[in-house]
Amino acid sequence: MANTNLPRRIIKETQRLLSEPAPGISASPSEDNMRYFNVMILGPTQSPFEGGVFKLELFLPEEYPMAAPKVRFLTKIYHPNIDKLGRICLDILKDKWSPALQIRTVLLSIQALLSAPNPDDPLSDNIAKHWKTNEAEAVETAKEWTRLYATGA
Amino acid sequence: MESDYDTQDASDTESMEDDFYSEETVVRDGEDEGEDEGKYGFSDNESDDSDVIVSERLQQNYTVLDETDIRQRQEDDIRSLSMVLSTSRVHACLLLRHFNWSVSKVHEEWFADEESVRRAVGLLGKQVEMPNVAELLCGICFEVHPRTAMSSAACGHPFCDSCWRGYIGTAVTNGPGCLMLRCPDPSCSAAIGQDMIDMLAIDEDKQKYSHYLLRSFIENNRKTKWCPAPGCEFAIDFVMGSGSYDVSCNCSHSFCWNCTEEAHRPVECSTVAKWILKNSAESENMNWILANSKPCPKCKRPIEKNQGCMHITCTPPCKHEFCWLCLGSWIEHGERTGGFYACNRYEAAKEEGVYDESERRREMAKNSLERYTHYYERWATNQRSRQKALAQLHNIQTEKLEKLSKIQCQPESQLKFIIEAMLQVVECRRVLKWTYAYGYYLPEHEHAKRQFFEYLQGEAEAGLERLHQCAEKELRVYLEAEVPMKEFADFRVKLAGLTSVTRNYFQNLVQALESGLEDVGPNRQTNSSKSSSSKNISSKNSPGNSPKSSTTTNNFDNYWYCERCTFANPSSNQACEMCEHRRH
Ligand SMILES: [Zn+2]
Ligand SMILES: [Zn+2]
Ligand SMILES: [Zn+2]
Ligand SMILES: [Zn+2]
Ligand SMILES: [Zn+2]
Ligand SMILES: [Zn+2]
Ligand SMILES: [Zn+2]
Repeated sequence: MANTNLPRRIIKETQRLLSEPAPGISASPSEDNMRYFNVMILGPTQSPFEGGVFKLELFLPEEYPMAAPKVRFLTKIYHPNIDKLGRICLDILKDKWSPALQIRTVLLSIQALLSAPNPDDPLSDNIAKHWKTNEAEAVETAKEWTRLYATGA
Repeated sequence: MESDYDTQDASDTESMEDDFYSEETVVRDGEDEGEDEGKYGFSDNESDDSDVIVSERLQQNYTVLDETDIRQRQEDDIRSLSMVLSTSRVHACLLLRHFNWSVSKVHEEWFADEESVRRAVGLLGKQVEMPNVAELLCGICFEVHPRTAMSSAACGHPFCDSCWRGYIGTAVTNGPGCLMLRCPDPSCSAAIGQDMIDMLAIDEDKQKYSHYLLRSFIENNRKTKWCPAPGCEFAIDFVMGSGSYDVSCNCSHSFCWNCTEEAHRPVECSTVAKWILKNSAESENMNWILANSKPCPKCKRPIEKNQGCMHITCTPPCKHEFCWLCLGSWIEHGERTGGFYACNRYEAAKEEGVYDESERRREMAKNSLERYTHYYERWATNQRSRQKALAQLHNIQTEKLEKLSKIQCQPESQLKFIIEAMLQVVECRRVLKWTYAYGYYLPEHEHAKRQFFEYLQGEAEAGLERLHQCAEKELRVYLEAEVPMKEFADFRVKLAGLTSVTRNYFQNLVQALESGLEDVGPNRQTNSSKSSSSKNISSKNSPGNSPKSSTTTNNFDNYWYCERCTFANPSSNQACEMCEHRRH
C-alpha cells in the first residue's frame, strides 16, 4: 500500500534502528505506515526526567530526507523547550536540518535535550521563566510530572 | 574630478570607500563621471523649451539599472575582488554575498583576519579529495555508488549526484537562503558555491539560483533598491546623502528612494507614512469620496469627472460651470477658496450661537472629520487627475500628436511643447497632491506659516488649473479642426507660457516647503526671485529683489514677461493675459 515506494534509505534506517537500538531509545515503525514510528525515550539519569518513559511519535514526510522528520512528545512533560502539545524546539528539526542526519541522530538529540534543558531558547514561556527564576522549584515540578505522567504507574 | 570628490566627501563616506577601493581595479561606469552641469542646481533656461520639462532631473543623483547593467556590475565586482584576493571567482562571489556586496567591507575584514572570514563564509583553504576508492557510500541515500557518480564540496564529503540534485533543489525551493548553502554533512561548514550548483542542479534550479544571486546584489546592497512598480524589473542605484530622495524609474514610475512610497517631494517620508496610515484608518468613511460622480449643484444630474482639471461644465442644456472640489460655482471662485482657479483653503464653518457641551463636542468631531475630508478629497482628486493626465499624455504620444501634426500642418518636432505641458501637469499634480498631506499636518496655530503655505499652494494650484485646462480643453479645438488654424501659434505661446509659469510656482512651493516655510515674511517676491534665478547670470544686472521680468530670454523676443505671474504676453498686449497686471 503506502509503503510500496519506500526509499531504500528509510528501510535501511529502520533495519538498523531495530537491530542496533541506541541506548535508552526504541523506535519501531507502525505496521500500516512505515513512515510513522512509535518512539520511547527513557528519561536520562541525573535529569529531572530520570525514571520516566516518554512516548513520542515520529513521522517521515514525503520529502524526507531532504526535509526533517516530524517529531512530537505524546507524554506530558515539564520542559522549557517542549510545549503542551509536545512540540519540540530543536534546531536540527528546523533550519539546521541536514539530509545527512538520521532518525537515530534526531532521537539522540532529543534525549540530550532532556539532560540539558535550554531556557534561553524556550518554546514554553511560562516553564522557561520558572526555570530561570527558580530552577530548583522547576526541577521539582518536572520530577513531579515525570512521576505523574511518565511512569505508567 | 577632483572637485567631485570634495563635494561628495562630507556627505557620503561609505560610498566613497567603495569607490576608493574599486578604483584600484575597476572604474564603475556612470558613477564616477559626475553630471557636472547638474550639480549646481536648477539651470533656469526658459530659452530652450526642450529642457524645461522637470528641471530637477538635471541633478540626477541615481542611476537606473536594467538586468544587463546589474549583471555587469556584479560580474565586475566579483572579478575585481577575485583578482585582488587572488581567489577563485566562486569564492569572491561567496565573500561578496556574505558582506552584502560591499567590496570595501570584504577588503577590511579579509585583510584584518583572513582565517575568521574563511571560517564564517565556509571557504576551505585546500580542496580535500574524496577517498580514492572505486565505490563510495552516499551519506544521504545510504547507497553505494561508483566514485564517478559522486561529488563533494572542497571538504571531500561525498554524496551521490542524485542526492546533490535533491539537496540543492530543496534549498532553492526554500528561497534566497540557498545562496548560503553548506555541505550536507552536519559537522561540516564548507560553502556550496555557484560552480557546484551549475554542475549538479537541474536547469530550473540553476536559473532560480542565478536569479536569487541577482536579486541579492540589489536587495542586500545599501545603495540599491528595486523599483517598487508592479512588474518593473529595473533597479535604482542611489548616491547617498545627495539631496532629494525622489527617483524616476525608466518604467516612468517615480518613487521615494528612502521609503519606496511614490515620489512625495517636498513632503517628508514621516508625513507620508502618517498620512497613509491615517487614510487606511479612515478608509471606510472616505469611500464615498472616491466615487467618480457627483450631482451637478444646479440640475442635480450626476456628473462624471472623466477629465483631469477641476473646472467642470455640466452637460447641455444646463451647462453649469462649477468646481469639482467644492461644488461652488466656478465664476464665484475667489478669495474664499484661495484664488480664482484655486480651491485649497480650509476654513471650518464657524457658526455663532450658544452650544451646550455635547453639541459642541459633536460639532468638534464633525469638524475634525470635515477637516480631514477637505484634505483627503484634494489629495485623492489630484491623484486621480494625475492618473488621467498620464493616460492623456500616453494618448497624445501614441496617436494625437500625429493627428494634430497633420491637421495643423506642423512637424511633430514642433509639437513637443504639448508633451512638455502634460509632463508638467503630471509632475505638478503629484506635488500638489502631497502638499495636501503636508497641509493636514501643518499645525493650526502656526498662523503665519499656514497663511504663507496656503498662499503658495493657492498660487501653484491656480497656475496648474490654468495649465491643465489649456492643455486638455483648448487643445481639443485644434484637434477637431478641419483645416489649419492661425490661432494655433497663439495656443503654442500660451501653453508654453503656462507651462513655464506653473513650473515657477511649483518650484517656489517645493522650495518653501523644503525649507520648512522659514521664509515667512513680507518679502514674498524675494522668495520667488531667489528660487528661480539665483544661479541665473542675467540676474546680476538687476540687483536686489528684481522681478523675473528683467531676465528676458531670447526665444520669446516678441513677448514680454508679466512681473507678477511671469506669463509671456504678446508684445501687443498692454495688460497680462493671465492676471491682468499692467505692462511695466
Ligand atoms: Zn545519494
Ligand atoms: Zn563537507
Ligand atoms: Zn520601474
Ligand atoms: Zn519617502
Ligand atoms: Zn447641471
Ligand atoms: Zn472650489
Ligand atoms: Zn500676469
